[in-house]
Amino acid sequence: MSPNTREVLAVSGLSPEAAKLSRIWEWFVVAAVALLFMGAIHLHVMLSVGDWDMFVDWKDRQFWVLVTPVSMIMIPAALQGVFWHYFRLPIGATLGALLLIIAVWISRLVGWHLWGYFPFSMSIPATMLAGAMALDAILLIVRNPLLTATFGGFVFALLFYPSNWASLAPYFLAVEHQGMVASVADLIGYTFPRAGTPEYIRVIERGTLRTFEGTSVWVSTAFAGFLCIFMHMIWWRIGMAFSTQRFVPNGKRMRQMMGLN
Amino acid sequence: MTAITASGIAQKEERKPGYYVKFNLFALAIIIMAVMFAAFRLYQQAFAWESGLDATSPEFDKYWMTLVKIELPLFVLAWVVCWSYLWITRDRNLAALGPREELRRYFYFTFWLVAYTFAIYFIGSFFAEGDGVWHQTVIRDTSFTPSHNVLFYACIPTYIFFSVGGFLYAMTRLPAFSRGISVAHVLAVLGPVLILPNLGFNEWGHAYWMTEEIFSHPLHWGFVVLGWNALALPGVALQMIQRMVPLFQELFGEAQQQSA
Repeated sequence: MSPNTREVLAVSGLSPEAAKLSRIWEWFVVAAVALLFMGAIHLHVMLSVGDWDMFVDWKDRQFWVLVTPVSMIMIPAALQGVFWHYFRLPIGATLGALLLIIAVWISRLVGWHLWGYFPFSMSIPATMLAGAMALDAILLIVRNPLLTATFGGFVFALLFYPSNWASLAPYFLAVEHQGMVASVADLIGYTFPRAGTPEYIRVIERGTLRTFEGTSVWVSTAFAGFLCIFMHMIWWRIGMAFSTQRFVPNGKRMRQMMGLN
Repeated sequence: MTAITASGIAQKEERKPGYYVKFNLFALAIIIMAVMFAAFRLYQQAFAWESGLDATSPEFDKYWMTLVKIELPLFVLAWVVCWSYLWITRDRNLAALGPREELRRYFYFTFWLVAYTFAIYFIGSFFAEGDGVWHQTVIRDTSFTPSHNVLFYACIPTYIFFSVGGFLYAMTRLPAFSRGISVAHVLAVLGPVLILPNLGFNEWGHAYWMTEEIFSHPLHWGFVVLGWNALALPGVALQMIQRMVPLFQELFGEAQQQSA
């Protein structure tokens, strides 16, 4: 037994057997948390902003930048609340973003690539890891949910576009297509039509979006940051509310059936 | 009340983690699920594009409707057998439950929850996005597609098996979960269970509106809201910790005194 282990046991007041048993239980909890939130966060993101995330040519300047951070902050904020309030661990948001990206990548490989035969380069997912790490770091520094929401929520959205830029940049390359200028992403869209494509493109590319040009990304980002502040506040509380430890007492008859009276 | 063992050897045995943690049934459940999910995915790979594109074709009936006709009755049978067993063999004298047995049962309860989350991952992520792959490529013709026949009619019943089973296990074998109903546990079970009837709403909507399978369509938000209930499972873990900590102190505090 190392001196460190002895010290930990002395502080915890547990015997080595009890500490080992406790550690076994904790590993099962880690497995459960990982599996549960890989499924839950992915389901939430997939069915709220999945279309923007599934294909590289659907990552537009107006709605992708706006709705993706707003959706992706929800469950990480709830996890951040639970981990911070009960365990003083500033890891909830990063954990959520990490589990999401692992789950999404497995699906992109096994689903999109191996079953749907889409090339990897077409279905790379977006990541929120940078924003989530900043969110957790801000919580660690300010140690306050309100300030974390105010600054962290905004930074979470602010980092979304830059942190995904490296993977998207090649698709902005201009190419000539039938005598007109298009981006590589546009060309992919023309070549691989998908079930939702026509309606989707009609919805997003209208109004003054084109006159805003490149700055529309930062307008969308700022709006996303504004919304993320409130999303964080709401979802921190939702996480706390869901993790209630309340029991509603059973009736006398039910207790009798279990031999508790 | 603490159960006092007759011999020192027995006491030593009871201090070992292996006394409280028996992996056999849990490992079997995980292996069965892993094999089943892998088999479903391979079946999709082999027969989805070849025989699953037209729900009116004889090939579809042979490969995909036969699957539904086999899997659904099997899962309903598994529900009835398992849940009935848990209820019939319930502990009818929980007031006399000793701390050793109680701690052991908390580990079994943990296994139920881990098995549940294992199924949740495959349903919420793996096969759910597989459904996205299918719809973005093929759209849909009926409620029965190669992705639905696995996701809706096999995977969802699998996690219902474990979520309700875990709830019944806790209610019938653990005093804290028997004296009262855990609100967090009800949420963690009920939300995902309600995804099954919510399929009715989903398919009803798809039967009338051409949503072109936009995954973020409001028609799908019922699944999203019900999926949020996963956030209640940390509450169940906290309830377990509140009882397991005193059990550890009672059992191993005593053991430490004796060994000293």
